[in-house]
Order: sequence, then structure tokens, then C-alpha cells
Amino acid sequence: MSEDRTPIISIRNVKKTYKTRNTELEALGDVSFDVFPGEFVSIVGPSGCGKTTLLKILAGLLPRTSGEIVVDPANFNIEREVGFVFQKPLLLHWRKVLDNVLLPIEILKIDRRSMVDKARSLLALVGLEGFEDRYPNELSGGMQQRVSIARALIHDPKLLLMDEPFGALDAITRERLNMELLQIWEKTKKTILFVTHGINEAVFLSDRVVVLTARPSRMAASLDIKLPRPRAQTVRTHPDFGRYALEIYKDLELS
Amino acid sequence: MKYLKTPLVIFVLLVIWQTAVILFKIPEYILPTPVSALEHLFLPQPDADYNWVMHIKATLLEIVLAFAVTSVAGISIAILLAWSDAIRRASMPLFVFINSLPIIAVAPLLLLWSGYGLKTNIIIAFLISFFPVVINTGTGLASIEEELLDLVKYLHGTKLQVFMKLRIPNSLPFIFTGLKICSTMCVVGAIVGEFIASDRGLGYIIINSQYTMDSPPIYAGLMLVSLFGVALFGLVSLAERLCIPWARPAGQEL
Repeated sequence: MSEDRTPIISIRNVKKTYKTRNTELEALGDVSFDVFPGEFVSIVGPSGCGKTTLLKILAGLLPRTSGEIVVDPANFNIEREVGFVFQKPLLLHWRKVLDNVLLPIEILKIDRRSMVDKARSLLALVGLEGFEDRYPNELSGGMQQRVSIARALIHDPKLLLMDEPFGALDAITRERLNMELLQIWEKTKKTILFVTHGINEAVFLSDRVVVLTARPSRMAASLDIKLPRPRAQTVRTHPDFGRYALEIYKDLELS
Repeated sequence: MKYLKTPLVIFVLLVIWQTAVILFKIPEYILPTPVSALEHLFLPQPDADYNWVMHIKATLLEIVLAFAVTSVAGISIAILLAWSDAIRRASMPLFVFINSLPIIAVAPLLLLWSGYGLKTNIIIAFLISFFPVVINTGTGLASIEEELLDLVKYLHGTKLQVFMKLRIPNSLPFIFTGLKICSTMCVVGAIVGEFIASDRGLGYIIINSQYTMDSPPIYAGLMLVSLFGVALFGLVSLAERLCIPWARPAGQEL
């Protein structure tokens, strides 16, 4: 880990317990890690280990039961400088693609006209040039998720939270979007926190993989992925690729 | 051909009607021929020569104003109810109560309060037709996918933005359904008002002709009233198609 830099966000002993009438469900046991500027960090864990819960806590969509989330307000405004890509594309079906991308701009009350060109170039970045005036239901699932990535980037967030964004897509589309995501990340230099349960996907994409155990989740490992960048599909044949994957597999099974 | 089917069906029905009356020698006060009804509209009549243009204008004005008032008020009420749980819980029974009243039976009271004429007829039409607008709009406002709300929430948007960006656009198809029902009920409301007390309008002609047992104007009035209903419904459907092109399921238009 690069100890010389200050983290953009520090997650310290964050816990989340869901309380219903007579039961308590500990969704997130005790999770602590730092994310550094420009880093691509994946969170891997079994279903129900609270990965999504953690992202939603970071985005302010859920309150945490205890623990701290530390940011430097001078560097990072966590209320405005976060982009969120959800599991589902969650496009507004009454808005054309371009207007969907501009939604965060309207919510943040930024002048819309000044951002139209940016929205167009982001759509070009995600490979949707020429689809600006289509409605979401005219697009395939993969294209819809591309729109939602462009939407998450329109307000130039410093931290991009991605909650299994490609989980619902077919394997081939997922591979393609993984490649494209890496290119976008390299071009935009965003910090990305990426939740997945695809071990290979996490190794392929990340600088670091945080492994969570089953519920109540604790951190099983934080693994630096020192594979060469920029990465292409050939990196999967790198001798270390399999070693990293195996290590994560062990962390998940044996912890 | 698509647009010719309906006029063709109507024309065939009119021909059957005309033939049946002549064939079975039905007396005119029971059932006049459609031709005779239309003659009363366009040709000067010896007995009761109504100023149709004036009466049509009066009824049309009532219908259009009633529809405008009901649309705006109905949608506003629904937004208010969706905005605040407290207001909804407190006032929803009241709206159900009003809607359960037989408005025709309440109309005499309204006449006592505000006299007869345009204003009273609009109030009657409103009372008859506002409920579907409120219920449909309310359903639309509530039927937003919960996860979509996160889009506004994670950027710390306001409740007003949730309504403006999500709930209201999401409810537009529901609003138009409410407005379509409202459009035909406003016609009914306006005529009911004219029935109970007025000195003008198609409802006045119908009730007045009944007193004089002069049935052709009744039929002429009914034809016009239903024509207005169809026309207003058509206009709302047209507006729907223009306003919400994204919500057009293929081959499923009303």
C-alpha cells in the first residue's frame, strides 16, 4: 500500500446491523480500509456479506450503526463528488439517453447548458455516440449500463462507487465492459471502489482487492494486485494472475 | 382505412335507425329519424326554434372550463396528498365521501348556494369528475421504483427534486388515464348542471324539449353532447401521444 499518500476515504470499524422487530441481522461486522486517490479497489465477498451495504453507507444512502468514515473535506466533498453505478442501470425511461446522463447535473443545480457537450463526450467515451436521442428501452442491457456509467461520471466525481455493475449482463458483454471500464479509468483517473463477486473480474481490474468474509463480515484480506498496466486480456495468462485468484479463493473459503 | 372504420360504423347505424323508424312507422315523439333530428339543428323550425349556436357555445364553455379546472385541481390535490402522509391520512376519507355522494342529489344545494349558471355547472362537473384524476395521479406518484429514489438521494437532492425529476414524470401515463376518464365525465357534469337549472345549453334544450314532447331536439342534443365527449377524449389522447412518446406500447392505444 502506498503509505506516503493520504487516503481519499478511510473506512474505520464500520458496522451495520439491521434491526427488525425481534431479530438483529449483522450485515457488516467490522470493516476498515483506506482508499487512495486514483486507486482501483475491488471488494469481493460471498452473497449477503454486506458489500452493497458498505457502498450505500459510503454514498449516504444508509446510516451506519457504528464506526467512522473519514474524508478530508478540503479535498473531497463526499456529498457532491461521488458517482454511483448501481446493479441495475436505473435509467429514467421517460428521458432520452442524453437527458439521463445530465440528471446529476440537474440535482446538483449545475448549469445544464454548459454540461451538454461533456455529456456527449462521455457518451462517446462509453461507446454510445449517436445514441443521445434514444429512449432507454430502445437499448440493450449492456448499453443501458454504459449510459449509467456516463451518468455517474458527468459531475466529475472523485470517487466512483460501482455495485456489481456488470453482474446482470451476459459473460461476453461483461468482459467487453470490463475492458472499457479500465480504459475509462485510465483516461479519467478516477478513484474506483468496485463491488463484485467475480474473483477473476476483481483481479483483472484492480490495484487492490479487499476480501470480506461471510456474514457478519470481517476483512479476510487486502491484497495488492501487482500486475502490469495498462492491462489487456493477455494479463489473464500472466503467471501471477492465477496465484492472486487462488489466494482470494483461499481467503474466501478458509477464513 | 384505419380512420374510416368508426365513421363507417356510425353511418351504418344511422341508416339502420332511419330505415327502422320508417319501416315500423314509429311515431316521432317516441323515436324520430336521425334526419329529422339533424333537420332541427340546421333548418328553421316552426314550433321550437332553438338558437343552437348560443346553446352549443354555452355547453362547450362549461365543458372546457370544467375540464381545465378539474385537471389542474385534481392533479394538484394528488400531488399534495403524495407530498404529505399526514395530509393524505387526514383528507382521503373526505374525498372518498364526496365521491360517494350522488352529486345529482347535491346539485339543488349548490344552486341554493351559488345560483344557476356557468359557475355552478362547473362546480357540479368538478365534483363528478375529479376523483379519477386524483386517484390515478396518486397511483402514478406512488408507483415509482424505490431504487430510482437513490439516484436523487445519493447526490443529496431535495424532496422537491424527487417530485419534479422522478415522481411527476413517472406519473404522466397515469395522469393521462385520469384525464381521459375525466374528459367524458365533465361532459356528463355540465349536462347535469344544465338539467337541474339553467336557461341555456344543450342540457336545457333536452329538458325543455321533454316538457313539450318535442323529441327531435333531444336526439340532436344527445348527438352533439356525445360528439363533444368523443372530441375532448380524442384531444386528451392526442396530447398524451405528444407529451409522453416514451410510454406508447405498440398497438395498445385507447
